[in-house]
Amino acid sequence: MKIIGTGLLLLAMLAVQPAIAAETGTALKADAIRAEPFADAKTLGSLATGDKVSILKKDGGWLKVKSAKGSGWVRMLSIRKGDAPRQGGSAAGLLDLASGRAGTGKVVATTGVRGLNEEELKAAKFDEKELKLAESYATSGADAQRFAKEAKLKTQKFDYLPNP
Amino acid sequence: MKKITIGLLAASWVLGCNSASSLDFGDDLRKALQGRVQQQAQERPGAAANVLSGIVGTSQENEIAIGRQIAGNLLGASPLVRDNKLQKYVNNVGRWVASQSERPDLPWHFGVIESKDINAFAAPGGYIFVTRGLYAQLQNEAELAGVLAHEVGHVIRQHHLKVLQQSSLIDLGGQLLAKGAGDNDKVQKLIGSGAEVAARALDKDAEFEADRIAVVLATRAGYDSYSFPAVLQQIGHVAKDDDSVTLLFKTHPHPDVRLERLSDAMGVRFDSVKGQTLPKRLYRLKL
Repeated sequence: MKIIGTGLLLLAMLAVQPAIAAETGTALKADAIRAEPFADAKTLGSLATGDKVSILKKDGGWLKVKSAKGSGWVRMLSIRKGDAPRQGGSAAGLLDLASGRAGTGKVVATTGVRGLNEEELKAAKFDEKELKLAESYATSGADAQRFAKEAKLKTQKFDYLPNP
Repeated sequence: MKKITIGLLAASWVLGCNSASSLDFGDDLRKALQGRVQQQAQERPGAAANVLSGIVGTSQENEIAIGRQIAGNLLGASPLVRDNKLQKYVNNVGRWVASQSERPDLPWHFGVIESKDINAFAAPGGYIFVTRGLYAQLQNEAELAGVLAHEVGHVIRQHHLKVLQQSSLIDLGGQLLAKGAGDNDKVQKLIGSGAEVAARALDKDAEFEADRIAVVLATRAGYDSYSFPAVLQQIGHVAKDDDSVTLLFKTHPHPDVRLERLSDAMGVRFDSVKGQTLPKRLYRLKL
Protein backbone atom coordinates (compact mmCIF):
# COMPACT_ATOMS: atom_id res chain seq x y z
CA MET A 1 0.00 0.00 0.00
CA LYS A 2 2.82 2.29 0.87
CA ILE A 3 4.42 1.62 -2.53
CA ILE A 4 1.19 2.41 -4.33
CA GLY A 5 0.85 5.54 -2.25
CA THR A 6 4.29 6.69 -3.29
CA GLY A 7 3.47 5.83 -6.88
CA LEU A 8 0.32 7.89 -6.79
CA LEU A 9 2.20 10.76 -5.24
CA LEU A 10 4.76 10.56 -8.04
CA LEU A 11 1.99 10.46 -10.63
CA ALA A 12 0.37 13.47 -9.05
CA MET A 13 3.69 15.30 -9.10
CA LEU A 14 4.21 14.43 -12.74
CA ALA A 15 0.72 15.64 -13.61
CA VAL A 16 1.41 18.95 -11.93
CA GLN A 17 4.78 19.35 -13.63
CA PRO A 18 3.63 20.64 -17.05
CA ALA A 19 1.59 23.41 -15.47
CA ILE A 20 4.64 24.61 -13.55
CA ALA A 21 6.84 24.26 -16.63
CA ALA A 22 4.58 26.44 -18.85
CA GLU A 23 7.16 28.88 -20.07
CA THR A 24 7.06 32.55 -19.37
CA GLY A 25 9.14 35.18 -21.06
CA THR A 26 9.90 38.88 -20.98
CA ALA A 27 10.35 41.19 -23.96
CA LEU A 28 14.01 42.19 -24.25
CA LYS A 29 13.03 44.98 -26.60
CA ALA A 30 10.01 46.47 -28.31
CA ASP A 31 8.79 44.32 -31.19
CA ALA A 32 5.69 43.57 -33.27
CA ILE A 33 3.30 40.71 -32.58
CA ARG A 34 2.47 39.12 -35.94
CA ALA A 35 -0.25 36.83 -37.23
CA GLU A 36 2.27 34.36 -38.63
CA PRO A 37 5.96 33.57 -38.13
CA PHE A 38 7.10 35.76 -41.02
CA ALA A 39 8.61 39.25 -41.12
CA ASP A 40 5.95 40.46 -43.56
CA ALA A 41 2.96 38.90 -41.79
CA LYS A 42 0.16 41.14 -40.53
CA THR A 43 0.94 43.05 -37.31
CA LEU A 44 -1.54 42.30 -34.54
CA GLY A 45 -0.01 44.43 -31.83
CA SER A 46 3.29 45.30 -30.26
CA LEU A 47 5.29 44.44 -27.17
CA ALA A 48 7.19 47.00 -25.13
CA THR A 49 10.45 46.23 -23.31
CA GLY A 50 9.71 44.32 -20.13
CA ASP A 51 6.26 43.06 -21.17
CA LYS A 52 5.49 39.60 -19.83
CA VAL A 53 4.45 36.81 -22.20
CA SER A 54 3.56 33.13 -22.07
CA ILE A 55 5.47 31.09 -24.62
CA LEU A 56 3.13 28.70 -26.43
CA LYS A 57 5.40 27.26 -29.12
CA LYS A 58 8.50 27.78 -31.19
CA ASP A 59 9.08 27.78 -34.93
CA GLY A 60 12.62 28.51 -36.10
CA GLY A 61 13.39 32.08 -35.13
CA TRP A 62 9.86 32.77 -33.92
CA LEU A 63 7.91 32.22 -30.72
CA LYS A 64 4.14 32.06 -30.45
CA VAL A 65 3.22 34.07 -27.37
CA LYS A 66 0.23 35.15 -25.36
CA SER A 67 0.35 38.53 -23.65
CA ALA A 68 -1.80 41.35 -22.34
CA LYS A 69 -1.08 43.12 -25.64
CA GLY A 70 -2.42 40.21 -27.69
CA SER A 71 -1.37 36.81 -28.99
CA GLY A 72 0.72 35.95 -32.00
CA TRP A 73 4.26 35.46 -33.28
CA VAL A 74 7.26 37.44 -32.03
CA ARG A 75 10.90 37.18 -33.02
CA MET A 76 12.60 34.73 -30.68
CA LEU A 77 15.54 37.04 -30.11
CA SER A 78 13.27 39.75 -28.74
CA ILE A 79 12.26 37.54 -25.82
CA ARG A 80 14.18 36.27 -22.84
CA LYS A 81 12.94 33.29 -20.89
CA GLY A 82 11.67 33.78 -17.37
CA ASP A 83 9.69 36.59 -15.79
CA ALA A 84 12.23 37.69 -13.23
CA PRO A 85 13.69 41.15 -13.69
CA ARG A 86 16.85 41.09 -15.69
CA GLN A 87 19.59 39.49 -13.67
CA GLY A 88 22.54 41.47 -12.45
CA GLY A 89 20.63 44.72 -12.10
CA SER A 90 22.31 47.68 -13.74
CA ALA A 91 24.21 47.49 -16.98
CA ALA A 92 27.38 48.41 -15.09
CA GLY A 93 26.87 45.41 -12.83
CA LEU A 94 26.45 43.17 -15.84
CA LEU A 95 29.59 44.52 -17.41
CA ASP A 96 31.56 43.93 -14.24
CA LEU A 97 30.26 40.41 -14.16
CA ALA A 98 31.12 39.96 -17.81
CA SER A 99 34.66 41.18 -17.48
CA GLY A 100 35.32 39.09 -14.42
CA ARG A 101 35.86 42.13 -12.22
CA ALA A 102 33.03 41.17 -9.96
CA GLY A 103 34.29 38.85 -7.27
CA THR A 104 37.83 38.65 -8.55
CA GLY A 105 39.94 36.47 -6.33
CA LYS A 106 36.95 35.09 -4.53
CA VAL A 107 37.07 31.39 -3.93
CA VAL A 108 33.89 29.80 -5.14
CA ALA A 109 32.17 27.75 -2.51
CA THR A 110 30.99 24.49 -3.98
CA THR A 111 28.24 22.53 -2.37
CA GLY A 112 27.54 18.88 -2.87
CA VAL A 113 28.19 17.81 -6.42
CA ARG A 114 31.49 18.90 -7.80
CA GLY A 115 31.72 21.69 -10.30
CA LEU A 116 34.72 23.39 -11.80
CA ASN A 117 36.15 26.47 -10.23
CA GLU A 118 39.25 28.54 -10.75
CA GLU A 119 41.13 26.94 -7.86
CA GLU A 120 40.55 23.47 -9.22
CA LEU A 121 41.55 24.49 -12.71
CA LYS A 122 44.69 26.14 -11.39
CA ALA A 123 45.66 23.03 -9.44
CA ALA A 124 44.85 20.65 -12.30
CA LYS A 125 47.55 18.16 -13.21
CA PHE A 126 48.19 17.01 -16.76
CA ASP A 127 46.49 13.66 -17.38
CA GLU A 128 48.10 11.97 -20.36
CA LYS A 129 45.94 8.86 -20.22
CA GLU A 130 42.70 10.81 -20.20
CA LEU A 131 43.94 13.05 -23.01
CA LYS A 132 44.87 10.03 -25.16
CA LEU A 133 41.39 8.64 -24.54
CA ALA A 134 39.85 11.95 -25.61
CA GLU A 135 42.00 11.95 -28.75
CA SER A 136 40.96 8.40 -29.59
CA TYR A 137 37.41 9.56 -30.35
CA ALA A 138 38.46 11.92 -33.15
CA THR A 139 36.32 11.88 -36.29
CA SER A 140 37.85 12.45 -39.72
CA GLY A 141 36.45 15.07 -42.06
CA ALA A 142 35.19 12.32 -44.34
CA ASP A 143 33.42 10.50 -41.49
CA ALA A 144 31.83 13.77 -40.39
CA GLN A 145 30.50 14.21 -43.90
CA ARG A 146 28.95 10.73 -43.83
CA PHE A 147 27.45 11.50 -40.42
CA ALA A 148 25.89 14.69 -41.81
CA LYS A 149 24.55 12.88 -44.85
CA GLU A 150 22.75 10.31 -42.68
CA ALA A 151 20.53 13.10 -41.34
CA LYS A 152 20.31 14.85 -44.73
CA LEU A 153 22.13 17.89 -43.38
CA LYS A 154 22.82 20.11 -46.34
CA THR A 155 25.57 22.71 -46.33
CA GLN A 156 24.72 26.22 -47.40
CA LYS A 157 26.82 29.28 -48.11
CA PHE A 158 26.57 32.00 -45.52
CA ASP A 159 28.98 34.87 -44.88
CA TYR A 160 30.25 35.69 -41.40
CA LEU A 161 28.23 38.40 -39.69
CA PRO A 162 29.70 41.88 -39.33
CA ASN A 163 30.03 43.32 -35.84
CA PRO A 164 26.92 45.53 -35.52
CA MET B 1 59.65 51.33 -42.64
CA LYS B 2 56.08 50.85 -43.63
CA LYS B 3 56.20 47.30 -42.32
CA ILE B 4 57.33 48.51 -38.91
CA THR B 5 54.51 51.00 -38.68
CA ILE B 6 51.98 48.32 -39.47
CA GLY B 7 53.71 46.09 -36.95
CA LEU B 8 53.47 48.69 -34.22
CA LEU B 9 49.86 49.25 -35.07
CA ALA B 10 49.24 45.55 -34.72
CA ALA B 11 50.99 45.61 -31.35
CA SER B 12 48.86 48.41 -30.05
CA TRP B 13 45.77 46.65 -31.30
CA VAL B 14 46.63 43.45 -29.48
CA LEU B 15 47.53 45.36 -26.35
CA GLY B 16 44.43 47.45 -26.70
CA CYS B 17 42.34 44.34 -26.31
CA ASN B 18 43.85 43.93 -22.88
CA SER B 19 42.25 46.92 -21.30
CA ALA B 20 38.79 45.60 -21.97
CA SER B 21 39.45 42.12 -20.67
CA SER B 22 39.74 41.05 -17.09
CA LEU B 23 43.43 40.51 -17.48
CA ASP B 24 45.12 43.48 -16.03
CA PHE B 25 48.82 43.47 -16.65
CA GLY B 26 49.30 47.11 -15.87
CA ASP B 27 51.29 49.62 -17.80
CA ASP B 28 54.70 48.21 -17.00
CA LEU B 29 54.33 45.14 -19.14
CA ARG B 30 52.75 47.12 -21.89
CA LYS B 31 55.59 49.61 -21.89
CA ALA B 32 58.11 46.79 -21.72
CA LEU B 33 56.75 45.22 -24.86
CA GLN B 34 56.38 48.48 -26.70
CA GLY B 35 59.91 49.44 -25.66
CA ARG B 36 61.24 46.12 -26.88
CA VAL B 37 59.57 46.48 -30.21
CA GLN B 38 60.74 50.05 -30.67
CA GLN B 39 64.27 49.18 -29.66
CA GLN B 40 64.44 46.35 -32.13
CA ALA B 41 62.98 48.53 -34.81
CA GLN B 42 65.77 51.01 -34.32
CA GLU B 43 68.54 48.44 -34.12
CA ARG B 44 67.47 46.28 -37.00
CA PRO B 45 64.80 47.59 -39.32
CA GLY B 46 62.42 44.75 -40.05
CA ALA B 47 63.12 42.96 -36.79
CA ALA B 48 60.04 44.45 -35.14
CA ALA B 49 57.86 42.66 -37.59
CA ASN B 50 59.55 39.40 -36.61
CA VAL B 51 58.97 39.93 -32.92
CA LEU B 52 55.35 40.66 -33.64
CA SER B 53 54.90 37.67 -35.85
CA GLY B 54 56.07 35.68 -32.84
CA ILE B 55 53.28 37.29 -30.87
CA VAL B 56 50.42 37.43 -33.30
CA GLY B 57 51.21 34.45 -35.47
CA THR B 58 52.30 31.10 -34.13
CA SER B 59 53.04 27.98 -36.06
CA GLN B 60 50.20 25.50 -36.12
CA GLU B 61 52.42 22.91 -34.41
CA ASN B 62 53.03 25.25 -31.48
CA GLU B 63 49.38 26.12 -31.34
CA ILE B 64 48.45 22.46 -31.07
CA ALA B 65 51.20 21.76 -28.50
CA ILE B 66 49.85 24.57 -26.30
CA GLY B 67 46.27 23.39 -26.71
CA ARG B 68 47.23 19.81 -25.96
CA GLN B 69 48.84 20.82 -22.67
CA ILE B 70 45.80 22.85 -21.62
CA ALA B 71 43.44 20.04 -22.63
CA GLY B 72 45.46 17.48 -20.64
CA ASN B 73 45.34 19.74 -17.60
CA LEU B 74 41.61 20.36 -17.94
CA LEU B 75 41.01 16.62 -18.13
CA GLY B 76 43.14 16.28 -14.99
CA ALA B 77 40.56 18.43 -13.21
CA SER B 78 37.51 16.91 -14.90
CA PRO B 79 37.70 13.54 -16.65
CA LEU B 80 35.64 12.49 -19.65
CA VAL B 81 32.13 11.14 -19.12
CA ARG B 82 32.53 7.37 -19.44
CA ASP B 83 30.31 6.81 -22.46
CA ASN B 84 32.03 5.89 -25.75
CA LYS B 85 28.94 6.51 -27.87
CA LEU B 86 28.45 9.97 -26.39
CA GLN B 87 32.08 10.94 -27.01
CA LYS B 88 32.01 9.65 -30.58
CA TYR B 89 28.75 11.48 -31.20
CA VAL B 90 30.06 14.89 -30.07
CA ASN B 91 33.15 14.37 -32.24
CA ASN B 92 30.92 13.70 -35.24
CA VAL B 93 28.82 16.81 -34.68
CA GLY B 94 31.83 18.95 -33.77
CA ARG B 95 33.94 17.89 -36.71
CA TRP B 96 31.05 18.53 -39.11
CA VAL B 97 30.62 22.05 -37.77
CA ALA B 98 34.39 22.73 -37.72
CA SER B 99 34.53 21.55 -41.34
CA GLN B 100 32.46 24.63 -42.25
CA SER B 101 35.18 26.94 -40.91
CA GLU B 102 38.32 28.20 -42.63
CA ARG B 103 40.38 25.73 -40.61
CA PRO B 104 38.72 22.40 -41.46
CA ASP B 105 41.97 20.45 -41.27
CA LEU B 106 43.03 21.16 -37.69
CA PRO B 107 43.09 17.93 -35.67
CA TRP B 108 39.77 18.76 -33.99
CA HIS B 109 38.90 17.02 -30.72
CA PHE B 110 35.66 17.27 -28.80
CA GLY B 111 34.54 15.77 -25.52
CA VAL B 112 32.00 15.84 -22.70
CA ILE B 113 33.59 16.18 -19.24
CA GLU B 114 32.32 15.28 -15.80
CA SER B 115 31.10 18.48 -14.20
CA LYS B 116 27.68 19.67 -13.14
CA ASP B 117 28.74 23.17 -14.16
CA ILE B 118 27.16 24.68 -17.25
CA ASN B 119 30.17 25.58 -19.35
CA ALA B 120 32.29 24.77 -22.38
CA PHE B 121 36.00 25.21 -22.98
CA ALA B 122 38.21 25.66 -26.00
CA ALA B 123 41.97 25.34 -26.11
CA PRO B 124 44.19 26.38 -29.05
CA GLY B 125 44.64 23.94 -31.88
CA GLY B 126 41.13 22.53 -31.70
CA TYR B 127 40.53 20.94 -28.27
CA ILE B 128 36.94 21.56 -27.21
CA PHE B 129 35.09 20.31 -24.14
CA VAL B 130 31.49 20.67 -22.99
CA THR B 131 30.45 19.90 -19.41
CA ARG B 132 27.85 17.28 -18.58
CA GLY B 133 25.81 20.11 -17.01
CA LEU B 134 25.64 22.04 -20.25
CA TYR B 135 25.03 18.93 -22.36
CA ALA B 136 22.04 18.07 -20.13
CA GLN B 137 20.43 21.42 -21.04
CA LEU B 138 20.44 20.69 -24.77
CA GLN B 139 17.19 19.93 -26.59
CA ASN B 140 18.46 18.85 -29.98
CA GLU B 141 21.55 18.23 -32.13
CA ALA B 142 21.41 21.74 -33.60
CA GLU B 143 21.87 23.22 -30.12
CA LEU B 144 24.92 21.01 -29.53
CA ALA B 145 26.26 22.09 -32.92
CA GLY B 146 25.78 25.74 -31.91
CA VAL B 147 27.61 25.33 -28.59
CA LEU B 148 30.52 23.53 -30.25
CA ALA B 149 30.56 26.12 -33.04
CA HIS B 150 30.96 28.92 -30.48
CA GLU B 151 34.10 27.18 -29.18
CA VAL B 152 35.28 26.50 -32.75
CA GLY B 153 34.98 30.27 -33.20
CA HIS B 154 37.44 30.87 -30.33
CA VAL B 155 39.88 28.38 -31.86
CA ILE B 156 39.82 29.67 -35.44
CA ARG B 157 40.19 33.29 -34.32
CA GLN B 158 42.90 32.22 -31.82
CA HIS B 159 41.31 34.12 -28.94
CA HIS B 160 42.99 32.16 -26.15
CA LEU B 161 46.30 32.08 -27.95
CA LYS B 162 46.28 35.87 -28.16
CA VAL B 163 45.60 36.15 -24.45
CA LEU B 164 48.46 33.78 -23.65
CA GLN B 165 50.82 35.58 -25.93
CA GLN B 166 49.93 38.93 -24.44
CA SER B 167 50.44 37.72 -20.91
CA SER B 168 53.67 35.83 -21.37
CA LEU B 169 55.36 38.05 -23.94
CA ILE B 170 57.21 35.00 -25.11
CA ASP B 171 58.49 34.71 -28.62
CA LEU B 172 57.20 31.34 -29.65
CA GLY B 173 59.52 30.94 -32.59
CA GLY B 174 59.81 27.22 -32.89
CA GLN B 175 61.17 26.14 -29.50
CA LEU B 176 58.01 24.75 -28.01
CA LEU B 177 57.23 21.90 -30.31
CA ALA B 178 56.03 18.90 -28.41
CA LYS B 179 58.42 16.06 -29.08
CA GLY B 180 55.86 13.34 -29.25
CA ALA B 181 53.25 13.15 -26.56
CA GLY B 182 53.46 13.86 -22.88
CA ASP B 183 53.69 16.61 -20.34
CA ASN B 184 55.57 19.51 -21.90
CA ASP B 185 57.46 21.64 -19.36
CA LYS B 186 58.14 24.52 -21.72
CA VAL B 187 54.53 24.76 -22.74
CA GLN B 188 53.39 24.49 -19.14
CA LYS B 189 55.60 27.43 -18.17
CA LEU B 190 53.96 29.43 -20.90
CA ILE B 191 50.37 28.71 -19.94
CA GLY B 192 50.71 29.26 -16.18
CA SER B 193 49.21 26.97 -13.57
CA GLY B 194 47.29 23.91 -14.67
CA ALA B 195 44.31 24.75 -16.81
CA GLU B 196 43.94 28.20 -15.24
CA VAL B 197 43.79 29.73 -18.68
CA ALA B 198 40.49 27.94 -19.23
CA ALA B 199 39.01 29.94 -16.35
CA ARG B 200 40.16 33.28 -17.67
CA ALA B 201 37.75 35.74 -19.16
CA LEU B 202 38.34 36.66 -22.77
CA ASP B 203 37.67 40.09 -24.12
CA LYS B 204 33.88 40.61 -24.29
CA ASP B 205 34.15 41.29 -28.00
CA ALA B 206 35.81 37.90 -28.45
CA GLU B 207 32.72 36.29 -26.89
CA PHE B 208 30.34 38.28 -29.09
CA GLU B 209 32.44 37.35 -32.12
CA ALA B 210 32.33 33.65 -31.20
CA ASP B 211 28.54 33.94 -30.82
CA ARG B 212 28.20 35.33 -34.35
CA ILE B 213 30.51 32.62 -35.70
CA ALA B 214 28.46 29.96 -33.88
CA VAL B 215 25.27 30.99 -35.66
CA VAL B 216 26.96 31.11 -39.07
CA LEU B 217 28.84 27.78 -38.78
CA ALA B 218 25.70 26.00 -37.57
CA THR B 219 23.75 27.51 -40.47
CA ARG B 220 26.43 26.50 -42.99
CA ALA B 221 26.34 22.96 -41.57
CA GLY B 222 22.60 22.73 -42.30
CA TYR B 223 21.32 23.29 -38.77
CA ASP B 224 18.61 25.68 -37.58
CA SER B 225 20.20 29.13 -37.24
CA TYR B 226 18.30 29.85 -34.04
CA SER B 227 19.52 26.81 -32.15
CA PHE B 228 22.47 28.58 -30.58
CA PRO B 229 20.42 31.63 -29.49
CA ALA B 230 17.98 29.13 -27.94
CA VAL B 231 20.81 27.78 -25.76
CA LEU B 232 21.69 31.32 -24.64
CA GLN B 233 18.03 31.87 -23.83
CA GLN B 234 17.99 28.68 -21.78
CA ILE B 235 21.22 29.47 -19.90
CA GLY B 236 20.02 33.00 -19.20
CA HIS B 237 17.12 31.40 -17.41
CA VAL B 238 19.41 29.69 -14.86
CA ALA B 239 19.54 31.80 -11.72
CA LYS B 240 22.68 33.85 -11.30
CA ASP B 241 23.35 32.49 -7.82
CA ASP B 242 23.17 28.90 -9.02
CA ASP B 243 26.60 27.29 -8.47
CA SER B 244 26.50 25.68 -11.89
CA VAL B 245 26.92 28.98 -13.71
CA THR B 246 29.35 30.77 -11.37
CA LEU B 247 32.37 30.36 -13.61
CA LEU B 248 30.42 30.83 -16.84
CA PHE B 249 28.84 34.09 -15.70
CA LYS B 250 32.15 35.29 -14.32
CA THR B 251 33.99 34.78 -17.59
CA HIS B 252 31.28 35.63 -20.12
CA PRO B 253 28.89 38.53 -20.66
CA HIS B 254 25.44 37.69 -19.30
CA PRO B 255 23.39 35.60 -21.77
CA ASP B 256 20.79 38.39 -22.00
CA VAL B 257 23.46 40.82 -23.16
CA ARG B 258 24.79 38.22 -25.60
CA LEU B 259 21.28 37.62 -26.97
CA GLU B 260 20.76 41.33 -27.53
CA ARG B 261 24.06 41.66 -29.38
CA LEU B 262 23.36 38.55 -31.44
CA SER B 263 19.88 39.78 -32.27
CA ASP B 264 21.36 43.02 -33.63
CA ALA B 265 23.91 41.08 -35.69
CA MET B 266 21.42 38.55 -37.07
CA GLY B 267 18.65 41.00 -37.88
CA VAL B 268 16.51 39.67 -40.73
CA ARG B 269 19.40 37.89 -42.44
CA PHE B 270 18.20 34.41 -41.46
CA ASP B 271 14.52 34.88 -42.27
CA SER B 272 14.60 32.79 -45.41
CA VAL B 273 17.18 30.25 -44.22
CA LYS B 274 15.95 26.78 -43.39
CA GLY B 275 17.83 24.31 -41.24
CA GLN B 276 17.25 21.21 -39.17
CA THR B 277 17.13 20.83 -35.38
CA LEU B 278 17.33 16.99 -35.20
CA PRO B 279 15.87 16.47 -31.71
CA LYS B 280 15.67 12.70 -32.19
CA ARG B 281 19.31 12.28 -33.10
CA LEU B 282 20.57 14.10 -29.99
CA TYR B 283 22.38 11.45 -27.95
CA ARG B 284 20.75 11.37 -24.53
CA LEU B 285 22.94 11.21 -21.43
CA LYS B 286 22.69 8.14 -19.27
CA LEU B 287 22.07 9.22 -15.70
